[in-house]
Amino acid sequence: MENMIEVRNLHKKYKDHHAVKNISFDVKKGEIFGFLGPNGAGKSTTIHMICTMLAPTSGSIMINGYDAVKQKNKVRESIGIIFQENTLDEKLTAWENLMLHCKFYKVPKSERKTRIQEVLEIVDLVHEKNKRVETFSGGMKRRLEIARGLLHYPKVLFLDEPTVGLDPQTRAHIWEYILRLKEKQGITMFLTTHYLDEAEISDRIGIMDKGEIITINSPAALKKEIGGDIIELSTAEHQATIATIKKDDNIIDVTDHGDVIHIKVQNSDAFVTQFIKQLDVPIRTLNIRKPTLNDVFLAFTGENIHKTEEKEA
Amino acid sequence: MEGMIAIWQRDVLKFFRDRARLFGSFVMPVLFLLIFGEGLSGTMESLVMSGVEGEENFQYVKFVFPGIVAMTILMTAVFSSLSIIQDKEFGYMKEIMVSPISRVYIALGKMLGASTVAFIQGVMMFLLIPFLGIRYDFINLIKVLPFMFLLACTLASVGLLIASLLKSTQGFQLIVQIIVMPMVFLSGALFPVSNMPGWMDIIVKLNPITYGVDIMKKVMIDVDSLSPLIREIMGLNLTIFQRPLSIMEEVLFMIIFTTVLILLATLSFRRANS
Ligand SMILES: Nc1ncnc2c1ncn2[C@@H]1O[C@H](COP(=O)(O)OP(=O)(O)OP(=O)(O)O)[C@@H](O)[C@H]1O
Ligand SMILES: [Mg+2]
Repeated sequence: MENMIEVRNLHKKYKDHHAVKNISFDVKKGEIFGFLGPNGAGKSTTIHMICTMLAPTSGSIMINGYDAVKQKNKVRESIGIIFQENTLDEKLTAWENLMLHCKFYKVPKSERKTRIQEVLEIVDLVHEKNKRVETFSGGMKRRLEIARGLLHYPKVLFLDEPTVGLDPQTRAHIWEYILRLKEKQGITMFLTTHYLDEAEISDRIGIMDKGEIITINSPAALKKEIGGDIIELSTAEHQATIATIKKDDNIIDVTDHGDVIHIKVQNSDAFVTQFIKQLDVPIRTLNIRKPTLNDVFLAFTGENIHKTEEKEA
Repeated sequence: MEGMIAIWQRDVLKFFRDRARLFGSFVMPVLFLLIFGEGLSGTMESLVMSGVEGEENFQYVKFVFPGIVAMTILMTAVFSSLSIIQDKEFGYMKEIMVSPISRVYIALGKMLGASTVAFIQGVMMFLLIPFLGIRYDFINLIKVLPFMFLLACTLASVGLLIASLLKSTQGFQLIVQIIVMPMVFLSGALFPVSNMPGWMDIIVKLNPITYGVDIMKKVMIDVDSLSPLIREIMGLNLTIFQRPLSIMEEVLFMIIFTTVLILLATLSFRRANS
């Protein structure tokens, strides 16, 4: 069996709103699959259906060889999930939360203590294990949830925005843990995030928008797909510069971002040496870069992910 | 099975950690005890003593107390079921629902959690007995325990079903007021319900608390030694279709009632998506 998850023609309708529209995709065994999309794209809805928490309107889902609609319990045993929102019992201690999870998932009695110790070490919470969760910071709670998701050695781990609301340092830590896990246990991972730099660790990325999957590819291939290099230029005479650029045949695309002009070209080296000769206004700044996932996201969804973030807030 | 026990233990553990809840749930029963017990006892006692020959030491409180204990169990059982809605609101229900525990065990675990808490509260009410100036046979107090637990299970299953269908705490409060309060008043817990108008009598007979209270009174107070008139006045001659009921029959009714409600709650958990 090659694929850990196989989704076919999956559809979800809420009353008259189609949140997920007939999507099909596979997640390979052992890979990190990143799921990107603006708010309301249908990412969480898709994950909930895969995890047996939500009944699909139509379509089929296979996980680890089991049908997510007909063999719910088999699927539940195979997966671990870190939900978008907190699902810890804050009145209990970290250790109690973990022990309950062991019991829910029938982890053999003799292994419970060692496994709890093991996951606590992975997320660096060994010394906090006897404290109540309500006394934890946001980052500690998130780490504890990740630890809990791992206790029963799931075949697939779903992480729905595992780092939302955390400071950059904690975020970096969490990804470190997640990567360490993948190396040690070879778990398949399915993650969503709004921080595109974080999605770079994915082997493949699927971009979802308005309930549809627009594209699926490796981060490198996606960047290549949108092609070329990006030159960010600002000059003393904005309009005149744009006019000059538009005459050039080598450019793929020009976008005006206020003071800065984004020029997309196939080969920046050749373009810049040529172009500077033609330009007769003083250059203020010039910056050449490769496309980032943010450019990819922008190109596919027509939205800047940071703008959607702001809308949310 | 172990998942069920884990869910059960969690709710009991949390109950003991929450001191405010532990004592808060005593306020209402003590209040009712004062009003119905102390307040009414003067009238009731003179009524009984003037009517019945040779009844000098009739104590009304002795008859009301089992009802008040039943009410304590009811309040605690139903409000403990609220923990299901709180679990939904705080997200923990997702952790439970996404796990491979069978849905029947989730329902049973939640029901047993609430009924254990209610049972403990009910037993703690016994501590008030010396202060009320009444006495029960110690043996009878032990004998009544299993019936109290059964009543707690029945009432917890009512709360379980309501909670499994709801998403918010506010809705729960409202339904509790509409369903639970009438159940208390039409159960014989606070005053005899032997001479009710027809339609009310039907509710009384369908109300599982009626049977729980009746069993508790029969066991705690030595009913057979009482004069028929007192049994009549105190509503201790529950009949159905003009036939007196045995404790066995009442127990059977409560078990069937509880089973049906748990099955319905299980279905609701199975259907619930999220
Ligand atoms: N229970 C529900 N009832 C009705 N509509 C819903 C429900 N849950 C989600 N939706 C709608 O479905 C769409 C997809 O929501 P979903 O939560 O899957 O988005 P998402 O991609 O996870 O977004 P985010 O990035 O904000 O987490 C949204 O338009 C949302 O309003
Ligand atoms: Mg989401």
